[in-house]
Amino acid sequence: MTESIVSVFRALIFIVIALALCGLIFSVAGYSAPDMFRAIIDGAFLRTGALQQALRWGLPLFITAAGVVISFRAGYFNIGAQGQFYIGAICAAFAADWLNGLPAFIVIPACFLAGMTGGALWAMWPGILRLRSGADEVITTLMGNFLAVIVLIYVTSGPLKDPSGSGQQASSRPLDAAYRISTSYGVSPTIIAIAVLVGIFMWLLVNRTAFGVLSGLAGRNATMVTWQGARLWNIGLASFIISGALAGLAGTVELMGPNGRLASGFLPAHGFTAILIALVANLSIVGTAIVALFFGGLASAALYLPVIAGLPSSAIDIINAAIALFITAKSNIVDRFLRNWRKRVWTT
Amino acid sequence: MDDVIIAILRSATPLVYVTLAGVIAQRAGIWHLGLEGLMIAGACATILGTVLTGSIFSALLIAMVICIVASILFWFVVEKLKANQIIAGLGLTGLGLGGTTLAVESIFGSQAAVTAPSGLPRLGAMFGAYGTLSILVLLMPLFVFAVWVLLCRTRFGLRLSAAGEHPFAARSVGVNPGRMRLIALMIGGVLCALGGAELASGSLQFFSQNMTAGRGFMAFAAVIFGAGHPIGATFAALFFAIVGAIGIRAQLVFGERVPHDLLLALPYLATVFGIWLSARLRGGVKAVTGFGELRDS
Repeated sequence: MTESIVSVFRALIFIVIALALCGLIFSVAGYSAPDMFRAIIDGAFLRTGALQQALRWGLPLFITAAGVVISFRAGYFNIGAQGQFYIGAICAAFAADWLNGLPAFIVIPACFLAGMTGGALWAMWPGILRLRSGADEVITTLMGNFLAVIVLIYVTSGPLKDPSGSGQQASSRPLDAAYRISTSYGVSPTIIAIAVLVGIFMWLLVNRTAFGVLSGLAGRNATMVTWQGARLWNIGLASFIISGALAGLAGTVELMGPNGRLASGFLPAHGFTAILIALVANLSIVGTAIVALFFGGLASAALYLPVIAGLPSSAIDIINAAIALFITAKSNIVDRFLRNWRKRVWTT
Repeated sequence: MDDVIIAILRSATPLVYVTLAGVIAQRAGIWHLGLEGLMIAGACATILGTVLTGSIFSALLIAMVICIVASILFWFVVEKLKANQIIAGLGLTGLGLGGTTLAVESIFGSQAAVTAPSGLPRLGAMFGAYGTLSILVLLMPLFVFAVWVLLCRTRFGLRLSAAGEHPFAARSVGVNPGRMRLIALMIGGVLCALGGAELASGSLQFFSQNMTAGRGFMAFAAVIFGAGHPIGATFAALFFAIVGAIGIRAQLVFGERVPHDLLLALPYLATVFGIWLSARLRGGVKAVTGFGELRDS
């Protein structure tokens, strides 16, 4: 337990360092760093309705991040969450388009099935390339992200194009209101239920099944797991499929919930933020849920920044990137400091 | 035929410079996924520097300084703080993409593309049809040769490889692996600045948000494809550029029958193919050791 407390403190220290770096960058760019941080804290956590907004952004992020946890735990650097998220949303949009007119209790589950299958398939080809040929999944999943962006552009300006849309941003025909699982405001009992179910299932999968134990071991020492007689191929492919399916599910939730339509290049930072969440939470499912709400707050503040303080919303991207730069750091200096500090505090 | 070769050279040159940076980092044992961020920082600094100072050379100098500082930050994080290289590299890329957007917004007040009045010096009329290419295109083979000599024919290159492959052995003969990595990343910073400068200022002289469009990651893929050898990686980068140029050519010849989106996707597909092929050729052994951690012994 104390070990995990140390890791939480370490994460906090490095987040503070990252924020300091951001403050420096903002000051150089001519903005007032304190003002910006005040606006972010205000927008994320203090204004009325902040919790709902944190949930609206945090729940889909949590779903994707839970998938990232599964593949990272198994030792596979699947950083293609963004692409799997897009392909999931695209497949769900196609399903909704084809089944348009049927009753909602058929269409909505079909869309979810389509979205999860799409995400899983988009994670599967890098997984197969990795497991069969050893093709590095970092590059293939990254390229998968770029390819998914192109597919999204193609779909929103081709097959699913909204003819009445303005020229600014290509988008698909909006979903029928009957098929939406939340209003544009973004939080509904359905979405909360989905996220809770995902959380429970993934927690059970990680902590209470053979797959969870074996994939965790495989991530640390694949050779040992192979010698123990486990099939690395099965574990690896399953973790790719699960992480892709969850990213696709998040895409479906965003499509059928708050967004209601596909727009080219929507939520471009979703996958990267989800990876950060999984890492900040030290690859634990419970931690991921908590951290996802924090980053959900940050994401809602990004929309709030230009309105309230005249600041560019790219500020949040910079903050996320700076956190990514430092979050995996495990400096001996900090560890030693923390250990001494703990000794002092706990013995007195 | 000339215009095809010009198109290939134009898209290959930035990629080759950044690939060389990746090769040097790879030799030193660092998986450099921050190439994309350094490249866009170089591109942005070159254009903004030209606009603000009026001189392309001071702009290049600014770009190099910025890329070197960012490289030192990256080195500090992965070497001193023992951060995961892959995630830290992606963080550096994110800082580059977000930071350049912020810089353009804070200086010009909008996110629109910035055009510079002048670009890199051109080759001039004595090269005929190739005269519109920038001088960095001509220098590119020299840089490849220089990096090859540095890595494969000098004591420094051997020490660098030792620091990357077996830091313990390097340390036991008095080589400081950490310092070698710092030098490698700083040289890489200069090369990324040149690559970014060529991309932004070599032909059209403008900077727009996310204009690198994954070229840094492609360069990294070229490093893997080329097995970390400067010549091999250069040919891998040329291959990616040729695929892109063939796509553009195909659209010019066949017109609307070739879908535009497929054309955009070609370089990324070629990259996936390259990674797959190089893994096949090397018997499926993954190049990285551990979970993206720096080797220490």
